[in-house]
Amino acid sequence: MLKYDVIVVGAGGAGMMAALYASKDKNLRVACLSKIFPTRSHTGAAQGGINAAMGYRDATDSPEKHFRDTVKGSDFLADQDAVEYFTANMPAIISELDYYGVPFSRDPNGRIAQRPFGGASSPRTCYSADKTGHVILHALYEQCLKNNVEFLDEWFLLSLVVADETFHGLVAMNIKTGEIHPFLAKAVVIATGGFGRIYWNRTTNAINMTGDGTAACFNAGIPLKDPEFVQFHPTGLASTGILLSEACRGEGGYLINREGERFMKRYAPEKMELAPRDLVSRSIEMEIKAGRGFGQGLEAYVLMDLRHLGKEKIMERLPQVRELAMDFEGVDLIEEPVPIRPSCHYMMGGIHVSDYATLATPVEGIHAAGECACVSIHGANRLGGNSVADVVLFGKYAGIGARESAKKRPFGLETLVIKEAKKWESKFATMRNKTSGIRLVDIRNKMAEVMWNYVGIFRHEQEMRVALETIDQLLNDYEHAYIGDPALRYNTAFVHYVEIGNLLTLAKAVVLGAINRKESRGSHARADYPQRDDENFLKHTLIYKRGDRYELKYLPVKITKYPPEERKY
Amino acid sequence: MENITFRIRRYDGTNTWVQEYRLPYEKGKTILWALTKIKDEIDPTLNFTSACRHAICGSCGVKVNGHAFLACKTSLDKLLETFDTSVLYFEPLGNYDVVRDLVVDWKPKMEKMKKVKPWLLPSREGSKEEGFRQSKQQFAKISSSTDCILCGICASECGQLAINDGGYLEPFIINKAYRFVVDSRDNAPEEHIRPVLENELWKCIHCMQCVSKCPKEIPLTDEIAYLRKETMKMGEVHNQGARHAYAFYHDVKKWGRLNEMTLPVKTDGMVTTLRKRIPFAYRMIVKGKINPLRLPKAVKGIKGVRKIYQQVEEESKS
Repeated sequence: MLKYDVIVVGAGGAGMMAALYASKDKNLRVACLSKIFPTRSHTGAAQGGINAAMGYRDATDSPEKHFRDTVKGSDFLADQDAVEYFTANMPAIISELDYYGVPFSRDPNGRIAQRPFGGASSPRTCYSADKTGHVILHALYEQCLKNNVEFLDEWFLLSLVVADETFHGLVAMNIKTGEIHPFLAKAVVIATGGFGRIYWNRTTNAINMTGDGTAACFNAGIPLKDPEFVQFHPTGLASTGILLSEACRGEGGYLINREGERFMKRYAPEKMELAPRDLVSRSIEMEIKAGRGFGQGLEAYVLMDLRHLGKEKIMERLPQVRELAMDFEGVDLIEEPVPIRPSCHYMMGGIHVSDYATLATPVEGIHAAGECACVSIHGANRLGGNSVADVVLFGKYAGIGARESAKKRPFGLETLVIKEAKKWESKFATMRNKTSGIRLVDIRNKMAEVMWNYVGIFRHEQEMRVALETIDQLLNDYEHAYIGDPALRYNTAFVHYVEIGNLLTLAKAVVLGAINRKESRGSHARADYPQRDDENFLKHTLIYKRGDRYELKYLPVKITKYPPEERKY
Repeated sequence: MENITFRIRRYDGTNTWVQEYRLPYEKGKTILWALTKIKDEIDPTLNFTSACRHAICGSCGVKVNGHAFLACKTSLDKLLETFDTSVLYFEPLGNYDVVRDLVVDWKPKMEKMKKVKPWLLPSREGSKEEGFRQSKQQFAKISSSTDCILCGICASECGQLAINDGGYLEPFIINKAYRFVVDSRDNAPEEHIRPVLENELWKCIHCMQCVSKCPKEIPLTDEIAYLRKETMKMGEVHNQGARHAYAFYHDVKKWGRLNEMTLPVKTDGMVTTLRKRIPFAYRMIVKGKINPLRLPKAVKGIKGVRKIYQQVEEESKS
């Protein structure tokens, strides 16, 4: 029986930070389990930067201003006690990352460089050119190697074992051998990232962003908080949805419609292109709807123009962005503007975390951090540069929290985890032997289509009802799916099968949350309820799963300092 | 061209075979597009790894027609044009253990990487609380080497790795060591350099395959040259590699060309040369490749050569 005091699931920024901190106690046995090799994790795709009020570029900046910007950006749905904790502790984390060897870009004084970002009242986004997430991810991996963290690379979480609200362990597959193993653990940190793949290709997310840990928690009885809040990044490449960093706008890029107009003046006259993401994404879609975009339907787009920044600045600050535009859209940003369109980017919602200081969930021993979790510091809309910040900071505290949990909890029951593993073994065997049924790819594509068309940037009750019916039908079809690969070893078809099950489970929660939130707030824009409704909806959605039934509840927002006001930029 | 034929080397843990797939040609697609389409629409048993699909996660390195590429950013049109064919042969990366089909095992590589202490050994100028100061120029030194995404393409292309018995380090491991050696925040460059030296640093033959194939254009061989110089500064001048370099240095300075007769003696010493190289030298003499009786003479432009030496020496002093 595999036994660990702490298991961290996921090896991105949050997971590795958690593993690093949990393993600082040498009396504890800690493992970091990930379905991919650690440096493949999606933290590496973060480009533009990480927010912390260092005050290097603007001495008047402060954690307090960062706090206020984040709350306003969240459309007042963030829990303010958590946000204050977050912004107050961020500067220390940046120094720590520097000490770990993260190669940050520097200012003329040799301090970490900072740049403006959307929704921020000061230039506080620390960066390493436009590959900030990449260098942080690799530095954390180096630190984990240094500290001899035990990695279980290419192990896939199948489920968490929770009985009577008590955590016992988990079941995971060693993908390389196909063996399914029960694990006993005293504590676990779930750090498995978001699930933007409910929109399949219309996302900036990596193909494996399927919310495995989120679904495992959800299935184990932990509620999802605010799943309806899905961030669409304004500047995805038009043809592939691949991300072009917010740093493009931060460094001064223009958004242009077919008439050659900087159309943001209509929507955010003060902040222009530096308005927050939800607003800019909606503005782009409004331009397209009004016939001022280029192209038609799903192919429509507007342009982002960086030419006025000049070659030198583009090469120094945005080298990767330039390469991406060249490789994937055939456009050199130095010479011409690039076609862009919003693309699903980030899940504000996720596993309900009930204590922001330990990242504990309602089930003792289970902690969650990073995009998979909802603390909530992002509320209804996350500010650019706050996600990498979120993963490293809350990853750290989740590691410490899990360490403390492990110290006070005994191991659970072997019989329970063995039973759960047997269940998965027989499921794996069944799926390997099945030779006919519904093609998994068809289920996946249908899900993405209805989610994009009916639960995208603009939402309407009638359309979302259609989406809900379709998802229910697809959940039914899923029971009849087949994978077409009888092998034990490295069976990615089976992994994908489980991933799609997770996506369907979560997509349904997104739709339910969205239908029931009859207001527009942050990223959640209802055509039939265009106003924010603080009286009825200044609260978090909580969705529970009891067997196949989904139950909705609500939870008050913690407002400590900034009462809701109209959100203008 | 109507169809592209993909011949893919398959492996299931026991058996190896080549399987053929055909896709209708579409303009402007990538290798990853083709692999994904084959898995989604033709054969779900085909396995490969990929994640971010925009050249930052390093998952999708694969060999096509003998050369390694990052599948997500490599255009099929370019490949078809380069190889002037409609048939592409796919294999897993070279110099790796294969898990299944195109999937390779990274675990052993990371165990090997630990040898160079691939982490910052922080200098006392910084602290966990305050971080460091680092100038823009100092940052520039680590900017390119930290672009490495551990895709393994350099290792797949490496000629030395292919023939080495396991002692030589993968170019990405050498890059990782270099990245800390030149980081102003690192306190102990020697601790990263020494394991590289002890793992056959001088065996790189500068074939440049790693550099020309690196999707991030990291100048790996320049880094290797830099590390070699550093080891010589550390006093490591009596190993075969350093002696060989000195032999080049002195010969060219003296005559403007190599003296291949004395090169082995200068590199390996008289004893080894006599023991190992005599039969080889004999064969070369017989074929007229070398002439032991010809005394070396300086080349015509020797003055110019010496001026270059002088210039370089002055510049490296300043």
